[in-house]
Amino acid sequence: MNLIRNENMKIYKRKRTWVMVAFVIVYVLIQIINLKTAEDTDFGKDWRTKLEQENISLSKELEKSNTLIIEDKQAKKKLLLNQYYLENNIPPDTNAWSFAVGQISNIIFAVSLIAIIIGGEIVAAEFGSGTIKLLLTQSASRTKIYFAKYTAAILFGLFLTLVGILTAILFSSFIFGLDGLGGNYFFVKDQTVVGVPILQALIGSYLLNIPFLFLAITLAFMISAAFRSTTFSIVISILVTLVGFILSIAMNGWNWTKYFVFSHTDLNQFIFGTPSVEGMTLGLSVGFIILHLLILHLISYPIFVKRDVA
Amino acid sequence: MSLLQISDLTKKVGNKIIVDHLSLEMDKGEILGLLGPNGAGKTTTIRMIVGLVSKSEGKVFINGEDTSLHFEKAMKQVGVIVENPDLYKYLSGYDNLVHFSRMNSKVTKKRISEVISLVGLDHSINDKVSTYSLGMKQRLGLAVVLVHKPSLLILDEPTNGLDPAGIRELRGHLISIVKNEGVGVIISSHLMSEMEMMCDRVAILNKGKLIGIHNVSEMVEDECSEVGFEVDRPDYAIQVLQSFLAGKTIIADRKQIKVRIPKERIPEISQQLLGAGINVYNIQTVKKTLEDKFIEITGGNIQ
Repeated sequence: MNLIRNENMKIYKRKRTWVMVAFVIVYVLIQIINLKTAEDTDFGKDWRTKLEQENISLSKELEKSNTLIIEDKQAKKKLLLNQYYLENNIPPDTNAWSFAVGQISNIIFAVSLIAIIIGGEIVAAEFGSGTIKLLLTQSASRTKIYFAKYTAAILFGLFLTLVGILTAILFSSFIFGLDGLGGNYFFVKDQTVVGVPILQALIGSYLLNIPFLFLAITLAFMISAAFRSTTFSIVISILVTLVGFILSIAMNGWNWTKYFVFSHTDLNQFIFGTPSVEGMTLGLSVGFIILHLLILHLISYPIFVKRDVA
Repeated sequence: MSLLQISDLTKKVGNKIIVDHLSLEMDKGEILGLLGPNGAGKTTTIRMIVGLVSKSEGKVFINGEDTSLHFEKAMKQVGVIVENPDLYKYLSGYDNLVHFSRMNSKVTKKRISEVISLVGLDHSINDKVSTYSLGMKQRLGLAVVLVHKPSLLILDEPTNGLDPAGIRELRGHLISIVKNEGVGVIISSHLMSEMEMMCDRVAILNKGKLIGIHNVSEMVEDECSEVGFEVDRPDYAIQVLQSFLAGKTIIADRKQIKVRIPKERIPEISQQLLGAGINVYNIQTVKKTLEDKFIEITGGNIQ
């Protein structure tokens, strides 16, 4: 549709946009360096002894009582995975693909914060620059313009995520190598270890992490369209998204998070893991997210369509 | 069918009535001015016509198309500039044109280059708009609203912020567009001398109400105008003329004497003066401006 092409032109013809893309690339690079320096990724020949040592320290940590639920969960998961590697004689392997799978939720989080900038200004900036008057007096209804702008903001988020994942694969391949595409990705589901082809895991977790991006962009877009303030929209959205992200991790496993939308946005827990709270299902989570997106649009859409442009 | 038909257009905000049951019509090839002091409701009227502001009451038809029912169809025939043409500064002039021509179906590349040369921007069309002068932006704004060949142009205070040369240029463009493309133009302004030069008809608004619609030529060319005679002996001249022009007021202003008379009487008056031995150095007709007329019509009660 022409209106979406217009919005895309306005996004991608600005230098600023490419600075944001560069940010995502730098972010991924930092993650790679981080992993390379902080963790021992090369287990070498004596990987068995290393895993065994790790398991001992993990068991010790599990005995402590002052840990968060999420810490316990992570430790138990790691323990199970390590045991699985030992039992089946599979040496753990870090390669470009497994790195990318592991980084997806990080990348989506970083991308969301940046996509909020576009989502937050795509409507408000037209008011700020006065171009809204020309835009709304063309042969296009406000409804069409609203949805063209929303689509363009979402597309930008997806594009940025893709850039992030491709960078992750490309640059980590220089360090970890591209081998291992035929290998399996292992995860813990219902106390047992399951393996799926790595490519399936990559595409799967990309798709399953996207609700977070949608929620962040929609929130920014809603404030932008309803209140016409770019700054307000970006600041509030980044704050809410940050707090939501941190709470959903820190409070993981607490019963009340069932009613907290950011605990639902990572759908990976249903396919490649265990739900954070018992009783949560994929359908329920998807429904809960859609409900939130709908509410946001129900606030901003009528305001945008009816507003007097004075 | 008229190009633009407005009936009972009303805007209320709270208890305040900003535009009060305004009705008017205009045809193709006509430049109609909306004239009125600040706060008369010109801008609100224009914004209601183009759908930027919602109507409290009334209807707007463009070529018979109701703008509330078929907004897209009606707006296909309209080009709008509200105040200064705010364009995308970070895009080039050409990209701005592409942007807005995509919003209207059936705009060819040929048409785009046509409007570019029409407004004389051939050399700078690929530069970013942020490098343009106000006059260039104004011209690009015109190109943007003309690119889809509208039959109605709506301009709200187009001369705001332009210098006299810019205003003159804009006027030239508008008049040639009306002539060449046969469009109708509706302009709001508070600059009366401008309206006098551009418009065929003016609709005068005051406090949200339409006071009257006048043909500019009729308004300006009155049967009686003020004529000033510059003479060497004004006191004597008044004496001479008093008996000749019985009943008329004669005003002496230093060496000038002023009377309100029809044009046809100028020769006989000058003959009278010369015959009495008074030297006449200058005869001047003071044209009545739209401004005088405007003050007269609104009763001078602009506030």
